[in-house]
Amino acid sequence: MEIENLLKNLVEHFNAKISIGKDRNFVLAKVDKSSYVNVAEFLFKEGFRRLLTVSAIDWLSRNVIEIYFITYNHVMNVYVKVSTEISRDSPEIPSLSSIWENAAMHEREVWELFGVSFIGNKMLKPLFLEDWKGPPPFRKDFDWREYVAKEYGLKYPPVPKTVYQ
Amino acid sequence: MKISNILKPFKTVGKFLVEKPLTFHFPPESPVFTERFRGRHIYHPELCIECKLCGTVCPNNAIDFLFEKDEKGLVHFRTQVDYAKCCFCGLCEDICPTKALEMTNFPFLVAMDKKELYYGWKKLSEKPSLTLPSIKEKKGLIPWARARSFWVINYFTGCCFIEAVPWVASSFDMERFGLLATASPRHSDVLLIGGYVTTKTLKRIIRIYSQMPKPKFVLVLGNCPMTGGTYWDSYNTIKELDKYIPVDLWIAGCPPRVENVGYAVVLAIWAVQHGYTGKEEYVNIEHGKYALPYVVPKIDRDYNIVEFGPQHPASGNFNMFLKLKGERVVEATPNVGYLHRGFEKLMEYRTWYQNIMIVQRVCVLDGASYELAYVGAAEKIAGLEVPERAKYLRVIQAELSRIQSHLLNLGLLASSAGFDTITRITWGDRDKILYLLEYMSRGRVYQIYNIPGGVRYDVPLDFVDKAFEVVKYMEKRLKIYDDLLFNNQVFIDRTKNIGKLPKEMAIELDVTGPNMRASGIDFDVRRNIPYEAYKDLDFKVQVLQDGDVYSRALCRRREIEESLHIIKQAIDKMPKGPIAERKMSRGGYFSFMSSIPAGEAIHCVESARGELCFHIVSTGGVKPYRVKIRGPTFDTILVALPKLLKGVQVADVPVIYWSLDNCPADHDR
Repeated sequence: MEIENLLKNLVEHFNAKISIGKDRNFVLAKVDKSSYVNVAEFLFKEGFRRLLTVSAIDWLSRNVIEIYFITYNHVMNVYVKVSTEISRDSPEIPSLSSIWENAAMHEREVWELFGVSFIGNKMLKPLFLEDWKGPPPFRKDFDWREYVAKEYGLKYPPVPKTVYQ
Repeated sequence: MKISNILKPFKTVGKFLVEKPLTFHFPPESPVFTERFRGRHIYHPELCIECKLCGTVCPNNAIDFLFEKDEKGLVHFRTQVDYAKCCFCGLCEDICPTKALEMTNFPFLVAMDKKELYYGWKKLSEKPSLTLPSIKEKKGLIPWARARSFWVINYFTGCCFIEAVPWVASSFDMERFGLLATASPRHSDVLLIGGYVTTKTLKRIIRIYSQMPKPKFVLVLGNCPMTGGTYWDSYNTIKELDKYIPVDLWIAGCPPRVENVGYAVVLAIWAVQHGYTGKEEYVNIEHGKYALPYVVPKIDRDYNIVEFGPQHPASGNFNMFLKLKGERVVEATPNVGYLHRGFEKLMEYRTWYQNIMIVQRVCVLDGASYELAYVGAAEKIAGLEVPERAKYLRVIQAELSRIQSHLLNLGLLASSAGFDTITRITWGDRDKILYLLEYMSRGRVYQIYNIPGGVRYDVPLDFVDKAFEVVKYMEKRLKIYDDLLFNNQVFIDRTKNIGKLPKEMAIELDVTGPNMRASGIDFDVRRNIPYEAYKDLDFKVQVLQDGDVYSRALCRRREIEESLHIIKQAIDKMPKGPIAERKMSRGGYFSFMSSIPAGEAIHCVESARGELCFHIVSTGGVKPYRVKIRGPTFDTILVALPKLLKGVQVADVPVIYWSLDNCPADHDR
């Protein structure tokens, strides 16, 4: 299948908003939450056998979390990023682990760092952190500099320290 | 089996007896290339114009200012540097309009009290000089014997350990000081902490420290355990190690240069010889916060649970639970996070320009690729066109970095298969590459060479000669590796047909790089989606069919040869011209504090371990909004390795593990 055909299919069947990178190797597609898994299944059947990553972006001002995955097709030589937006307050999305085997591990990371739960993923338990009790650390409203100042008792001024003698 | 394959290694080793040794002198007489190294600053107070730019651009808050009144009542403005924080990136030197703050090649910064590493302006404006204590005199037999037989526990806590590697190798050879790497805490005297300590690692360090016999000495490499260093705002690394365990010697640098580590060892020997027995012992676990979680051991008649790592000579800071039945592995469960710093979010706190000094620290073993991936993505968003000459310089840097990474891996693989000679030789040769990298980019391990839009420095005029010299040397050495390792029947028997990774599995589990090419998949980002100058260069993608440990090692060895070929071509074809472009096609100039227009981009490069992608989102600010690093080892180690280990002999675990070339810092980020 040609890239043009693929894009046409994505737009027609899944109502995706497409933008293409300058070098034409990267396709960014935005879809609805309801067709997120269907797009993944469709791409897998079209020969997107490699899943590079599943990840998230926290859009604090719009109160949404953007979940996306990047996949690659050896034949077409194209990377496709498919993203969808979910609510920030109760983030939930179906898991891709039944399509790509390695998705489970990437989702486990997103679960830990962003607090997004993936329905159908049996692996959701801490990956990097041990006994972490704070909020999901990669959320935008968790200020690390504030946390470090409180936790370790260190104050870092935003501008370089100047001493007058 | 060929008889010649058994006899040839002996013949080749015999030749080493008459060759010139690889080992450098210590104390260093005149190190080969060090005049360009970014070391301690020198401050010229008369040139300083009170602009405070260096302090603003410094990513680690290492620079402070002082208004000082002299005897006449005149107020002077002074700059001071804290070497317990400085990461030697050279941004201050780049931005300084009058060159009042310059970097010298002086790397020797060691102190027993970390406050001594705060350099006031007077100390900073003195010309640096080295005075080594004489270790010939001794006071008593026991202190002398103790000082000459330090056993160092090998626990590779962080990235600064990379500069302890040359001391293991033939290039610096620590055994001439009586140092020996030991695996058992109960038999070691010295705990060497290399770099940043995460909360998860700290628990293990405290456990190891309390197991060591008295007198025990703690040496700390790098700035991160002193003040937080580069990761001063990371939520998962501890900031001051001496709160938890006593520290005897602080070795500053990021990472400290090899010679600096040697200087610290000489100081330690001197002190112990004069009767120093370490600081008063204490352990602070902060009311159980840093105590190891207590696990009730499960008793099972059929299975044994063995932990592989993190304190293990062949694991790196990585841990795996192996469920064994007899000698066979039934199940392997990786337990990672010992090096998790939250890199992606750290980059959100720094400006686009400051990020160039932090990004290569994701994976110390192959920093150049991370620089390339980051600046590539930033250039795509900003619309910066890189000049041709800079593209070639980037290729040379990336390929040199690939060679040293593969050499390191060959050494690790050989040592885990029982071929220690190869380890010493490859790691010794790696130093030649590092010296060349340093001559090119002014940084030895972390080159910090690329900026969005080009490279920071042009190469010196005689770089070409030196590069050809090293390339020629390496080509000769590769034949020795063949004789000693790849055509050695013992190594072939040890590594053939174990850890087989089938082609289909490699695609589906997203294994990339040499591991994938050794399984028969013909894919290389450099050729399939060319970046920088790779489309003008002629190189072969090395593909092997077997997918076992041997072919993965052989694939790396062939890639070294191919990289040398690329470097030769790149030097020949490199055009003259500018090395950096500042004008962004979407408006404005890119500089120290500038913002990049809104947008997002994905940029993938071929790193030494496989495909590395950066996905960056910008909202038009001075800082990136989100950076996603898709490292090459995440899937390989966390998903594919447990599958490969099912059913193998427990003795093969380290061999298979290193044949996949893990970088724990990369998958933990």
